[in-house]
Amino acid sequence: MEQLFEAFGIDGKLLLAQLINFGVLFVALTWLLYKPVMKTLDERRAKIAQGVEDAEAASQKLAVADENAAQVVQGAETEAEGIVASARELAGSEKSRIMKEAEARAAQVAADAEARAEETAAQALRDSEKEVARLAILAAEKVLRKS
Amino acid sequence: MTGVLAQMGSFLHAVFGTAVAYAAEGAPQAEGGAEHASGIHVVLKAEEVFRIFDFPITNSLLMTWVTIALLIGFALFFRSKIAMIPGKLQAGVEMLFEGVLNYMTETLEDEKLARRFFPLIMTIFLFVFLANELAFLPGIGSLLVEHNGTLVPLFRAPAADLNMTLALAIISFVVIEITGVIVLGFFKYAGKYVNFSSPVNFVVGIIELLSNVGRLISFSFRLFGNVFAGEVMIAVALFFVAYLLPVPLMAFEVFVGFIQAVVFAMLTLFFIKLSIMDPHESH
Repeated sequence: MEQLFEAFGIDGKLLLAQLINFGVLFVALTWLLYKPVMKTLDERRAKIAQGVEDAEAASQKLAVADENAAQVVQGAETEAEGIVASARELAGSEKSRIMKEAEARAAQVAADAEARAEETAAQALRDSEKEVARLAILAAEKVLRKS
Repeated sequence: MTGVLAQMGSFLHAVFGTAVAYAAEGAPQAEGGAEHASGIHVVLKAEEVFRIFDFPITNSLLMTWVTIALLIGFALFFRSKIAMIPGKLQAGVEMLFEGVLNYMTETLEDEKLARRFFPLIMTIFLFVFLANELAFLPGIGSLLVEHNGTLVPLFRAPAADLNMTLALAIISFVVIEITGVIVLGFFKYAGKYVNFSSPVNFVVGIIELLSNVGRLISFSFRLFGNVFAGEVMIAVALFFVAYLLPVPLMAFEVFVGFIQAVVFAMLTLFFIKLSIMDPHESH
């Protein structure tokens, strides 16, 4: 065993020095490297989780808002339809009223015109009857004078 | 077990002896393995560069300090740059960390445990990986300093020193065993290894106990062997053909350095998982 240690240069002092070396390195790296890096990783992970949560909440809110908007739009549409229908109805009744009025006036105009035409015709007949009577008298006078 | 190890040691020593002797042939003034002018410089153990109060500072220890300084320097630099919106570097580091943590969570089937063991597994990986890859920088192994009259390399791959790999193996081993005791409780955990319910279970328990202790050796020698063998292979290739031939070998060693870092970290993770598994559920 002694010979073996001698051959490989195993020395209690060196062995102890190497143990301490590794111990120092272990402690130093743990405090200087692993802990800060792990802390950063954990913090980032928490931040990302928070971000995902926020995004989920936001999308939920968005869905609710979308629904609200759709409801509002639908309400507006029904209302507009109602307005249009009532306007159309109103317009329809107005139209028929105007038509009736126009028809009535046209009928009156036609009746007036007919009456006036009849009057004129009667007048003309009376006039022509008078003329015929005068002409007949004239003719009779002429005949009488010749004879 | 001791006998086997000693035999292995002497076997390696013998292999080593020939390599050293070969180097010594070319340069008669060479003593031991510290020969650079000609021949292959292969030394099984990390060499002493200087001493502070009777404390030997080896070239591997120096390199370990460089590696640690770089890692801590990077951590300090990186910490000041951390932002909620990551840059490229931060995104890369985060991806690595998250990937490892996810894998650990899957393996341990418990996120809390995974988070607790993450620093250990990650440090093992980063340390071994950087230590292995830094060894390929120019100057590592080729910068020489004089010590006690011989020239020794100033830097050496940290994992090419059994002290370093053994230290890591001990840490890994201790963490695994302590985790088992804490999670399962002492008696339940001990019951995995010392079990008198039947002769078969008793033998199985003893075998498990031995294989547990054997991890100390397998952990340390696997890393040491891979890195050291890579160094030797590149040194030999350099000795024969100094140009181009070592390139694919070095590329392969870069890959090996990464794989060994992964293996060390993953095995630690798997053994932690094994140690916290309930003995009644697992059988």
